[in-house]
Amino acid sequence: MVIFLLVRLGDVDPVSVVLGGKQSSPQTIENVRREFGLDKSIPEQYINWVKGLLHGEFGKSFKYRQESGQIIFARLPVTLSIVTIAALIAILLSIPAGILMAAKQHKWQDTGISVVQLILVACPPFLTATLMVWMLYLFSPQTAFTGSPRTFSELMERTFLPGVAMSFVMIALLSRIMKSGMTAELKSDYFLAAKAKGLSTAAVMRRHCLRNAIIPVITSLGMMIGILLVESVLVEEVFSLNGLGVALVEAVGASDYPLVQGITMFMVFVFMTISTLLDLLYGVIDPRIRKGKAI
Amino acid sequence: MNRRERMRSFFTVPVLLSVAFLLAVLLVSVFAEQLAPHDPDTLDPASVLAAPSAEHPLGTDPSGRDLLSRLIFGARSTMLSAFLVVLISAAAGIPLGMLAGYRRGILDKVLMRLCDAVLSFPSLLLAFVLVAAFGRGIGNVVLSLGILYVPMLAKLTRSLVLVESGKLYVEAAHATGFGGAHILLREILPNIFSTLLIQLMLDVGYAILDLSAMNFIGLGVQPPTADWGAMLQSARIHVKNAPLVALSPGILIVLTVVAFNILGDGISAYLDPAQRKLPSIKRFKKALLRRDPDADPGSKVLPRTRKAGEEAAHE
Repeated sequence: MVIFLLVRLGDVDPVSVVLGGKQSSPQTIENVRREFGLDKSIPEQYINWVKGLLHGEFGKSFKYRQESGQIIFARLPVTLSIVTIAALIAILLSIPAGILMAAKQHKWQDTGISVVQLILVACPPFLTATLMVWMLYLFSPQTAFTGSPRTFSELMERTFLPGVAMSFVMIALLSRIMKSGMTAELKSDYFLAAKAKGLSTAAVMRRHCLRNAIIPVITSLGMMIGILLVESVLVEEVFSLNGLGVALVEAVGASDYPLVQGITMFMVFVFMTISTLLDLLYGVIDPRIRKGKAI
Repeated sequence: MNRRERMRSFFTVPVLLSVAFLLAVLLVSVFAEQLAPHDPDTLDPASVLAAPSAEHPLGTDPSGRDLLSRLIFGARSTMLSAFLVVLISAAAGIPLGMLAGYRRGILDKVLMRLCDAVLSFPSLLLAFVLVAAFGRGIGNVVLSLGILYVPMLAKLTRSLVLVESGKLYVEAAHATGFGGAHILLREILPNIFSTLLIQLMLDVGYAILDLSAMNFIGLGVQPPTADWGAMLQSARIHVKNAPLVALSPGILIVLTVVAFNILGDGISAYLDPAQRKLPSIKRFKKALLRRDPDADPGSKVLPRTRKAGEEAAHE
């Protein structure tokens, strides 16, 4: 139902696109319209587009005269690798940070990290990325990071810093969620019971609290990966990488609606797949969800 | 925590600093014409990326425009559009949320499903799609972001109204015979207003971030216009030679957003459910009147009210 809504929203577009192509002779316009199927009525176009989707075709780009799918897959590796690196860094840093904050509440560790959080959350990724480019120039000016990567190691090299730049906001948000989850768990009865049994605080946190506290983190991780997918355009620009985000923004700017639709659909698809996988992960983490009727 | 402690916890150094900073930014953006030393759009090819000098206090940008003037006008563009985004979302989101929460029924269900649908997407993706539909330009970007901020606010308003509707004073208003409009606007709204205000404050911060992102990728303001996001974009390739030109707009964005967040957090820490009151002029006046009760030995002011007067004087 959600996809439907977006498709309708996107489907208004081809009407205005006809206006965009009106600089040439009527004959060319006619040909162009036939080529992209714009001579048909809007519901027909819509049906054709959905049919194409089922065949794995996202629609033909106006600008490149090429299947959107090909453009998407050509540009996917860069974006995917940025998002993966950012997500991994964020998970690895924010969970320990959140636990530390909960364990040392109101001590200097807690205050210190929360100040860092406050600043990180307000740092737009393009600013961090620009800062990094500057640092890179100051400390190792010979590093080249332009041009599209060809090999896997090149890809990793070029997308590592963008990934780090993207991860900052995520670290701040996730560690905040982790902290509040953990703080709530530390107040629970089972925590007291486990302590009374003679376990050390660290052991209880590791064995009992972590599983419970991590669930909200996973929920928001799904949402955040979607945000990263879109926002990666901000760092792709700065590091002059040809990613999916740059393609989307260019398509929006050039009124290349089939490509906008194609990339949007693709991102939504990736995003939904990830959310579903993370939903399944709940069951692995929390046995109660596995047994219950949830999911 | 009594009121005195709460007041003290509100007026902490970070909160005061951020209030001062935000006031400064607001004043600068209101009086941009008077404060800016140069016209922000005048090109001067003779002095491109000039170092700070008496004529150009912060130097010039890649097109030879005065950086300080552009930052000042950028503040106006950024603040104005961020406030507009929040205003649009509040104008639509608060009434919708109140209706949904108060009337319930089908309206509520449909609205909330719609909100969930919008919220389940990354907001920037929808912003791109909306801008693709409306066309680029700052007006359309503001409109798109304004629309996208509605669901969050509507959901928050609805949940607040739901909580308030169950309370005794609403029942009392019903029993007195007031209509729905009166109860919503005169009884419930004042009670949820402060919580909404905090959310609006945080939203301004998010709006600044989202807007600067849209301007950064060039979908928002168009070239000559000075805007922090757009300025960072146009100067970022020169970060090696002129870090100040490239980074100063970004630093201003961060500072402004941090200030809004601190202020929002500060207010929400100050307000607890039992005492949802912001420092108001009325209370300040009252405090002034009661400031020196010891001077009048016959004063019948009770110790408790006296204390309240002293605290309010801190305001």
